[in-house]
Amino acid sequence: MSQHAMQHVEDFRAGHALGLDHRKLGMWMFIASEVMFFGGLIAAYLHYKYRLGFPEAAELNVVLVGINTMVLLTSSYTVVSALAAIRQGRQGRFIAWLLLTILLGVAFLGGQIYEFADLVRQGVTLTSGVFGSSFFTLTGFHGLHVAGGVLWAIVTLVRGLRGTLNAEHSMAVEIFGLYWHFVDIVWIVLFTQIYLIV
Amino acid sequence: MTTASASVSWRRYFWWNTDHKVIGVQYIVTSFLFFILGGALAMLVRSELATPATDLLDGSTFNQVMTNHGTLMIFLWILPVLAGFGNYLIPLMIGARDMAFPRLNALSYWIIPPAGLLMIASFFAGGAEAGWTAYVPLSIGGPPGQTLWALSVMLLGISGIFGAINFLTTVIMMRAPGLTFWRLPLFVWGMIATSLLILTATPVLTSGLIMVALDRVVGTHFFTVTSGGDPVLWQNLFWFYSHPAVYIMILPAMGIISEIFPVFARKPIFGYRMIAMSSMAIAVLGLTVWAHHMFTSGMDPRLRVPYMVSSMVIAVPTGIKIFSWLATIWYGKLRFTTSMLFALGFISMFLIGGLTGIFLAAIPVDLHVHDTYFVVAHLHFVLFGGSVSAVYAGLYYWFPKITGRMLDEKIGRTHFALNFIGTNLAYLPMFIAGLMGMPRRVAAYDPSFTSYNQWATLGALILAFSTMPFLYNTIVSWARGPKAAANPWQAQTLEWRTSSPPPLENFSEIPIVTGGPYDYGEPSAPAAEPAAAPAAG
Amino acid sequence: MQGRATQAEKGRPGYGVIFLGLVFLTAIELGISGVRILPPLSTVLYLLFSGMKVALVAAFYMHLREDNRLYTAVFVLPVLLLLVFALLTIAI
Repeated sequence: MSQHAMQHVEDFRAGHALGLDHRKLGMWMFIASEVMFFGGLIAAYLHYKYRLGFPEAAELNVVLVGINTMVLLTSSYTVVSALAAIRQGRQGRFIAWLLLTILLGVAFLGGQIYEFADLVRQGVTLTSGVFGSSFFTLTGFHGLHVAGGVLWAIVTLVRGLRGTLNAEHSMAVEIFGLYWHFVDIVWIVLFTQIYLIV
Repeated sequence: MTTASASVSWRRYFWWNTDHKVIGVQYIVTSFLFFILGGALAMLVRSELATPATDLLDGSTFNQVMTNHGTLMIFLWILPVLAGFGNYLIPLMIGARDMAFPRLNALSYWIIPPAGLLMIASFFAGGAEAGWTAYVPLSIGGPPGQTLWALSVMLLGISGIFGAINFLTTVIMMRAPGLTFWRLPLFVWGMIATSLLILTATPVLTSGLIMVALDRVVGTHFFTVTSGGDPVLWQNLFWFYSHPAVYIMILPAMGIISEIFPVFARKPIFGYRMIAMSSMAIAVLGLTVWAHHMFTSGMDPRLRVPYMVSSMVIAVPTGIKIFSWLATIWYGKLRFTTSMLFALGFISMFLIGGLTGIFLAAIPVDLHVHDTYFVVAHLHFVLFGGSVSAVYAGLYYWFPKITGRMLDEKIGRTHFALNFIGTNLAYLPMFIAGLMGMPRRVAAYDPSFTSYNQWATLGALILAFSTMPFLYNTIVSWARGPKAAANPWQAQTLEWRTSSPPPLENFSEIPIVTGGPYDYGEPSAPAAEPAAAPAAG
Repeated sequence: MQGRATQAEKGRPGYGVIFLGLVFLTAIELGISGVRILPPLSTVLYLLFSGMKVALVAAFYMHLREDNRLYTAVFVLPVLLLLVFALLTIAI
C-alpha cells in the first residue's frame, strides 16, 4: 500500500466515532493559531492605544469603513450560501454565490486601499509613528489574509467549475468557508477596537 | 507482507518523503547536527570564559557566539529533536499507519534545513548579538544578520505550528480500536500538552518578530523609544511564547522518562492519570506565568506577586511526576541499561534545575540573581541535565526500533558517565558564581569568579568529549551492530508489537488494544513476546 | 454527522435571518458612533454588539452550534487566552 495514497477512511475511525473530520479539525486548529497571531498584533495596537493615546485615530473614516464592514459581512453570507448550494447539489447556484463572495472580497480590499491612501494623504503612514506602524501592520495583515482568501476562493471556483467539487465532495468548500468566516470575525474585532471604541 | 524496510535506501532520508518514520529520523539527525554546531559555539564561549579578560574573542564576537549558541540549541536542536521523537513514535504508539496529514508533515521538516541555513548565514552577515531573547532596542539597531535571525526563527515557528496541528489531529482521530485516551502512552500525553502550547504560544512570538523585522527593515516605530515605542511590549510578546517554550522543551522529555521507568523497573507506572493530567496542568499554567521573566523590567510591582505565585504552583504537577517516577522504580526489578541510567540522571539533574526555578520565581531572590549565572546554571540543569538526558535516554531506548540494530551498552555507559560528570561540573559552579554576582552574557568578568569559570570550562570540555563515544556507537552500530528483535526491552507500548524497524505501513494488522501500556504483572497485560510481530534476523 | 440534516442541507433561510441580524447590529453600532454616545457606555455597547456578531458568525455560519463541541473549544479557548494576554500586555 503506497504511503502516498490518500488516507483510508478506516484510519480515522476513532475520530469519526466522535463525530469529527480530520480536515475540519485541522482547520480549526489552524484558526486557533491565527487567533493568537492576530492577538499579538492586536495586543500591540491596544498597548499603545491605551498608554500613549492615538490622536491620529480622529482621522479615521468610520462611515466608509462601516460600509466596508457591511461588505465583508455580506461575503460571509454569500460564502455560507455557496456551501448550502453545493451540499444540495445546486452547482450553478454554488458558482454564483462563490463568485459574489470573490467580488465582495475584492470590493473590501478596494475599500481598504482607498482608506489607506486617504490616510497616507493626511500624513499617516506605516512609518509616521507608533499609530501608523501598529494600525497599518494590523489592518495590513488582515488585508493580506483577505487577499489570500480571495485567491483560495478562485481556486475553489475553478474546482467547482471542473466538477471536482460536488455534493458528495464538498468538504473543501466548508474548509474554505471556515477560513473566510474567521477573517470576517477578525475584521469585526478590528473594526470595533480601531474604529468604534475611541 | 512487504519487509521493504530492511532494505530501505539511505537516499530516502535526503529527499521529500511523507512517511512519518523517515521524517522522524530526518528531524532527529538534522537537529543533532545543530546540537554539535551549538556545542562548538558553547566551547568557544567556555574557552573565552576560562580567563577573566577578553583574550580569545572580542566583546562583539563573543555576543554573536553566545547568541547563536542559545538560538541554535533551542530552535534547531531541542525543539526539533523532540518533534522528531513525536513524529516517529506517535503513529506507532497509537496503532496508526501514519500522521493525519503526511504531506504537511514533510513540509514541516523541510522548512528546517533552509531556516537553519538562514540562521548560519545570519552569523556571517554580521551576526545577531542581542542574546536569544533579542531585547529591543538593542536588536533593532544591531547588525544586519539580526533580520535573518528573526526570519529564521519565524520559519521554525511556522514549522512547529504545522507539526502541532498534525500531532493533535493524529492523536484525536487515528487511535487504534480500544485505545482510549486513558490508555495512551504517557509520551503521547506529553506530546498532546506540548502541541497545545506550540499551537497557542508560537504565533504570538511570530507577531513580535514581524514587528522587530519591520522596525529594522522598513522603519516602523513599534519599538523606537523616541517615538513612544515600549521595549517592555517586546518582552511581553517574546516571553508569552518563550516561557511556554521551556515546557515545550521539557514535556516530551518527561514523556520519554515515563516510558522508560516502567520498562526498566518492570513495574506498572505509579499514578498514570496523575502524570497524564500533570502534563496538561503544566501546559495550562505555563501559559499564564510569562512575566516572571520581567520582574526587573519596571512592570507594575503589584502585578509581580500573582506571577510569582502561579509560577511556584507549577512545581506541584512537576513534583507529582517526580514522586510518581520514584514510586514507579521503588522496589522494582531494575535493569541498568544506558537508557535507564540517563533516566535516573534526568531525575537528579532536573530536580536541581527545577528547585532552583522555584528560587527564581521568588521575587526578592530574582531581583538579586536576575541576569546572573544563577539563571544560566538553572536553565542548563533543566535543559541539558533534563531534556538532553531524556533525549539520550530515548535514543538508546528506541534506536533498536528505528534502525533494527542494538547499540553497544558498554560504550553507552561510558557516554553516560562522562555526560553526568561533565554536566554537574560545568553547571554547579555557575550557581555560586551567580549568587556572588557574576552577570550573564559577559566576555570579561571580575577575577574573583575565575575558579568557578575554570571548573565550568573543564566540565564543558568533558561534555564535548562525551559526545564522541555516543557518535561512534551510533554510527558503527547503525552500520553493523547486532540485529534487534521486535521487542528487545520487553515493553508493552504498541511500537514494540511490530518489527524493528517497522514495515512501511507500520503494522501488518492494526492492533486491538485491551489494556494500558504499563500493565506489568496485571492480568490484562499481553504476553511479553507478542505472537504477531516477527523477530528480526 | 450523517443522519441529522445540517443547517447547510436545510437551506438558506436561516442564514438570511442571521445576515439581517449582522447588518442590524452593525447599523446600531454606526448609529451609536454617529450620535456620539460617550464612553464608557459606548464602549460597553460596542463590545456587546461586536461580541454578538462574532458569536452569530461562529455559531451559525461556521456551524459550531451543530458540530462537535471540540471545535468550539479549539476556537473559544485561544480567544479567552488572547483576552488575558491583551489585557495584561496593556497593564504591564
